[in-house]
Amino acid sequence: MLLEIEDITLHYGRIQALHGISLHVNEGEIVALIGANGAGKSTIMRAISGLRAVSRGAIRFNGEDISKVRADLRVARGICQAPEGRGVFPGMTVQENLEMGAYIRRDSAAIAQDMERVFGLFPRLLERRKQAGGTLSGGEQQMLAVGRALMARPKLLLLDEPSMGLAPMIIQQIFTIITEINQQGTTVLLVEQNAQQALSRAHRAYVLETGNIVKEGTGAELLHDPAVKAAYLGVA
Amino acid sequence: MTTDTIKKQRRGLHLGNRFRALPKSARIAALIAFVVLLYVLPVKGFYENLGLPIPAGDGYLPLYTTRSDMANVLFQCGYYILLALGLNVVLGYAGLLDLGFFGFFAVGAYTVALLTSPDSKLITEYNWLESPWPWLVTVPIAVALAMLSGVLLGWPTLRLRGDYLAIVTLGFAEIIRIVAKNQDWILNGDRGIPSVAHPPGTWSDGSPIFGIIDWSPYYWLVLTVIILVIFLIRNLANSRVGRAWVAIREDEDAAELMGVSTFKFKLWAFAIGAAIGGLSGSLWAGQANFVNSATFSLENSILVLAAVVLGGAGSIGGAILGGFLVIYVPEWLRSVGDVFGWPDSVEVFGVHIDVSPTSLRFVIFGALLIVVMIYRPQGLWPNRRRAAELKDRQKEVAPVE
Repeated sequence: MLLEIEDITLHYGRIQALHGISLHVNEGEIVALIGANGAGKSTIMRAISGLRAVSRGAIRFNGEDISKVRADLRVARGICQAPEGRGVFPGMTVQENLEMGAYIRRDSAAIAQDMERVFGLFPRLLERRKQAGGTLSGGEQQMLAVGRALMARPKLLLLDEPSMGLAPMIIQQIFTIITEINQQGTTVLLVEQNAQQALSRAHRAYVLETGNIVKEGTGAELLHDPAVKAAYLGVA
Repeated sequence: MTTDTIKKQRRGLHLGNRFRALPKSARIAALIAFVVLLYVLPVKGFYENLGLPIPAGDGYLPLYTTRSDMANVLFQCGYYILLALGLNVVLGYAGLLDLGFFGFFAVGAYTVALLTSPDSKLITEYNWLESPWPWLVTVPIAVALAMLSGVLLGWPTLRLRGDYLAIVTLGFAEIIRIVAKNQDWILNGDRGIPSVAHPPGTWSDGSPIFGIIDWSPYYWLVLTVIILVIFLIRNLANSRVGRAWVAIREDEDAAELMGVSTFKFKLWAFAIGAAIGGLSGSLWAGQANFVNSATFSLENSILVLAAVVLGGAGSIGGAILGGFLVIYVPEWLRSVGDVFGWPDSVEVFGVHIDVSPTSLRFVIFGALLIVVMIYRPQGLWPNRRRAAELKDRQKEVAPVE
């Protein structure tokens, strides 16, 4: 088991956002978290990447509890998140953004190789290499955020809403690349509102409602679950 | 669309691009010539040899320079430029709003004053020191103490984000000033500390280089320090530290997710900025001879902030330009005023109102800041990256198709 979350709760001030969440991610999987707005999907991501401290519970990565480890040190252990709302550095060029993704690494030859790999996955980024991150289109920024996270060579890649605000064609493209990244050996945990895409790509998935996990199963199972269909796939 | 924006950016940086297009030898030669020009600025003979008309009296050249001694004004510009360079690290590089930057200047100045003055209470009352120390020895101590106060101030506050830091730093500068004003046990309040030592050295005829009448040596000293500080800051900005600062400034969460220890690098920016502020204070104290609390009013912090924002946050050239303008322009206006008979005060209904450019400088800079913020929000000499960030933020606030 690469990541194991055991009974975590998390508070924003006095508001409890997570009520005892437990989930796990096996090595080599794509796991999806689906749920409505405000269900706590992004909060779980923040708890894993360390941007928010949990009030209770354990987050085990490779068997070690990292719930008290600082966010920047979790990156060194192999957890890297592409933040929600893209979060690319607007004043840095595409290339500088990618270099920033490899901030914790010092093996410059391998970094250059990884950059080639990212450009291979996202040819658009190669075209825009010298352009400032803030001037890219929404889809390009999303590609940059994913590519930048890959530059840290994570064992576990966290993707927060990779399809947000994108045109259907580009969503398709992004998810194809996510599958490709996974096949190249990176474990992926992703949060999505686009349940259709997420469930058809994921090995397993969890359904989240108001800070609780209400369902789990393989992607295919949930895709055909009547309750999930009604609530998240817009089919009666 | 993209070529269009690139063209626009190019137009904005026209002069800079043209300079960069020159061969390296030409650029170095131009830079050396410029630095030499800076060193001869306070020399009277330089203006005489230019063949410019020289007015009668004690003034130099009102329209070109100022009424008061050129070296005085240049020295003041110098230590303000140093302050602006320090604040530029904190605000321009790391994006931390420090409203009380002059507090570090005060720490530097008071350290030098306490250690070098024979009337310091460390000597007269507490017997901590047997005799006053030389100025040069106290400068590193002043810098270290300013840096330490930066770390102590930053440690609890840099974990907070945004406005909290601005409020705490504002409080810090005021606490230093008010404590210095009201207590008597060491800093002597408004009576201050007299007989602060000057920098060392004598001319061949035995008279001190750093005297009271001629300020040129102080200017040359501060100019030299500025050049050294610029080298230091440039190297920092181009290092891993500098890249971490840019990332923190642009998106702190994203920086943390890339593995940047945001707290550590913010603290570094704060400490380095504070050290430069303290250095400026120790240079100033070495000239001023007398240090009291009246020097450290809040307006100074605001003026330094105005200098950085006006010049263009995040750009070394901008900080220098801003620091120079906030001191030089009021002085220059005053001398222009003299030529055209601008009065120092006017009487309105029996009340005397001070209208000299020096006392009006906050009005002038207030107005100027508004104009610059509307028409050139990135500052007069912007940093390329900061300009792009600003555009991105504007897009978020008010999207244009």
